[in-house]
Amino acid sequence: MSKGYANNRLTLLAVGVLVCFLAVGVRLVFLHVLDRDELLGYVDRARRQIVVEHARRGTILDSHGNLLATSRSEITLAVDSWSLVEYLELDRNDTRRDAKAREQQAKRAQLAAILGMPVADIEKAFRPEMKEVKPSQDRTDGTVDGQIKDRWTKLREGLDEPTYDRIAALNIRGLTHERIYRRTYPSGGLAASLIGYLNKEGTAVTGAERHFELYLKGEDGWIESEKDGARRELAQFRSREVPARDGQDVVLTIDSVVQHILEEELRTIAAKFNPHFATIIASEPRTGRILGMANYPSFDLNNYSKAPLDAQRNYAVTDIIEPGSTFKIVAAGAALDQGLVSPASAFDCGITSINYQGRDLKLPKEDHPFGMLTVADIVSHSSNRGAAQLAMLMGAQKFYDYAKLYGFGTTSGFQLGGEVRGILEPPARWDGLTITRMPMGHAVAATPLQIHMAMSAIANGGALLRPQVIQEIRDADGRVVRRFEPEKRSQVLKPSTASLMARLLHGVVGPDGTAEGFDIPGFEIAAKTGTTQKIVDGKYSSTHYVGSFIGFFPASRPEIVLSVIVDDAQVPDGKNYGRAVAAPSFKHVAEQLIQYLDIKPVQSYSRNLVAMQGGAL
Amino acid sequence: MKPPPASNLINRVILLTLMLLVFTGTLGLGAVWMRQEISQTANRSRALEDKLTDAQRRLDELSAEVATAVNPQALLRQNESMRLALSMPREIQVQRVAVSAELKLAQKRNLEVFRVENASFASFTRPPEHRALTVSLQ
Repeated sequence: MSKGYANNRLTLLAVGVLVCFLAVGVRLVFLHVLDRDELLGYVDRARRQIVVEHARRGTILDSHGNLLATSRSEITLAVDSWSLVEYLELDRNDTRRDAKAREQQAKRAQLAAILGMPVADIEKAFRPEMKEVKPSQDRTDGTVDGQIKDRWTKLREGLDEPTYDRIAALNIRGLTHERIYRRTYPSGGLAASLIGYLNKEGTAVTGAERHFELYLKGEDGWIESEKDGARRELAQFRSREVPARDGQDVVLTIDSVVQHILEEELRTIAAKFNPHFATIIASEPRTGRILGMANYPSFDLNNYSKAPLDAQRNYAVTDIIEPGSTFKIVAAGAALDQGLVSPASAFDCGITSINYQGRDLKLPKEDHPFGMLTVADIVSHSSNRGAAQLAMLMGAQKFYDYAKLYGFGTTSGFQLGGEVRGILEPPARWDGLTITRMPMGHAVAATPLQIHMAMSAIANGGALLRPQVIQEIRDADGRVVRRFEPEKRSQVLKPSTASLMARLLHGVVGPDGTAEGFDIPGFEIAAKTGTTQKIVDGKYSSTHYVGSFIGFFPASRPEIVLSVIVDDAQVPDGKNYGRAVAAPSFKHVAEQLIQYLDIKPVQSYSRNLVAMQGGAL
Repeated sequence: MKPPPASNLINRVILLTLMLLVFTGTLGLGAVWMRQEISQTANRSRALEDKLTDAQRRLDELSAEVATAVNPQALLRQNESMRLALSMPREIQVQRVAVSAELKLAQKRNLEVFRVENASFASFTRPPEHRALTVSLQ
């Protein structure tokens, strides 16, 4: 072989290689520069995927850790009938294909049995069909005829996990599913107005669900990765990953058993009196923690869509009523606190008018005629005229200031929102008679919770606390991330005055008291009855009343504050007084709470209290 | 010096090319093996994550079922359907014990054990029986 021929051959080879490289280079320029955007878009569509990882919503628990609200997975079962067709077409062997088809048919019969559906319906769902689409969207099967394969026929939604497990075990071709999380309320209607609910769209509507949304919802995460032809994630191609942060758990101060006791009692009240609404609240005076807050009417959280809007209200904070005689604690407490009177100070409650600041004012009517009454009697007999004279003794401004201190006319700081302020006008806006009417609980309006907290202040040594309905926030691992401590709002009365008031209120259930016979021996019920005429068409009605019984026990060592308020009870003889419609329920609930909360009876009450007061009065 | 023949040069080039090919091939295979390992590990890791999610989901499911079964209303229904007649005790049915119940029971038992009437002459012939009573003194 000549040297020139060898050189030519090498040159030819080098040129050939160069041309090949050039061709590859040109192709690369096309791929990476000219067609880059289009190709990247295609790759992105075909392979890249962003999977959102939904955060698990936190649960709502009661103070003992019982679940009140949690999230449950539900499965929507659907059929991709074309997938079955494609699976069978893969097998060229007719005999084997027929055997596979028969096997799948037998499984579908089992599926029908599990779902409780006719086999014909299942078979219909598995029949491959086409669906009409706009021609612009018809790009999936190569032909643009406005029809594509229908790959999603819903079979059943709301399946639970165990049922789905049985279905998945059948391994049916063409069966597909989608898992969603739905909020569920294991206790049904228990504390419905406090817990609130999430609607079908997952939006928190009311109650703790809404007001603690920030804690509960968590943060969704996402994964950017690629998928294979069967749409399975290729985990090795994960490029970015932001983990989901589960929501935090909200622990309420509610005790499920206490709440249940209250709701059972409300059911009894509803059956007996068919009221417009009724509310029972139970709380701890020393901490302001609400153990139970029940309303009638109420609703089942798992069937919220069927409940009328009226039933979804938390009447304890959204509605105002005239407190009636329960408001007498303001006048009596204030007069005692200022040292203007002692429990033994006497007032003539038989008079019909009185001179106040140079004007003769007509005093309100009494339910029973009274003569001279001591302050202790005014409280226990619930004298309207006595309360009016106590208020007049201190003057309008002082009386108003004390009412404010008790928390009337301002929101109590209820943590679940929806609360109204109530009505308490300043003295400048009072008419001439207000000083005689307000002390008996007219010309003022408050929510049941405000009245409850005012009584709680007396039980708590005169300190008004913020009602606590949330105990703590826990993270997904159960660690406490925030604890809610008792919050003092104001010092209404001196502790000694509060103790004195407790004793006077104990007289309400004593002989000649308005709630005589509703004491529980050894547990010193201290309470106040209230009966308010409702305003109908701008006038006080003589047939529509709000009956209430607000109190605490034991008087010398208060452990529970309890309020029962019944609005417009239907009583055959028309005597829907607090004593008749609310006091029996108060006693019944108190008896149960004593047992459940293991409240010890008070020994020799009178001796202790007298000692506390520094001797007999 | 005489230059090496052209065939030797070509042989060397071919040898070097081959070595380069073997080297790059090994590198390539190594890279493929490594990617395979990465992919397997990633898939195993994803499977574990899925398992964990599944376990968490089942745990939530179970917790919800337990909560549904033990809520006061459900227990009340059980009480009625099983005719257990369980109810909250009333104060009148409650006997409150001021002292330690354990101590009280131990005292009562000791009185029985050490009562003089319980001693018999027959017992002198055999060693005495001792009963140990553990009392929690609070």
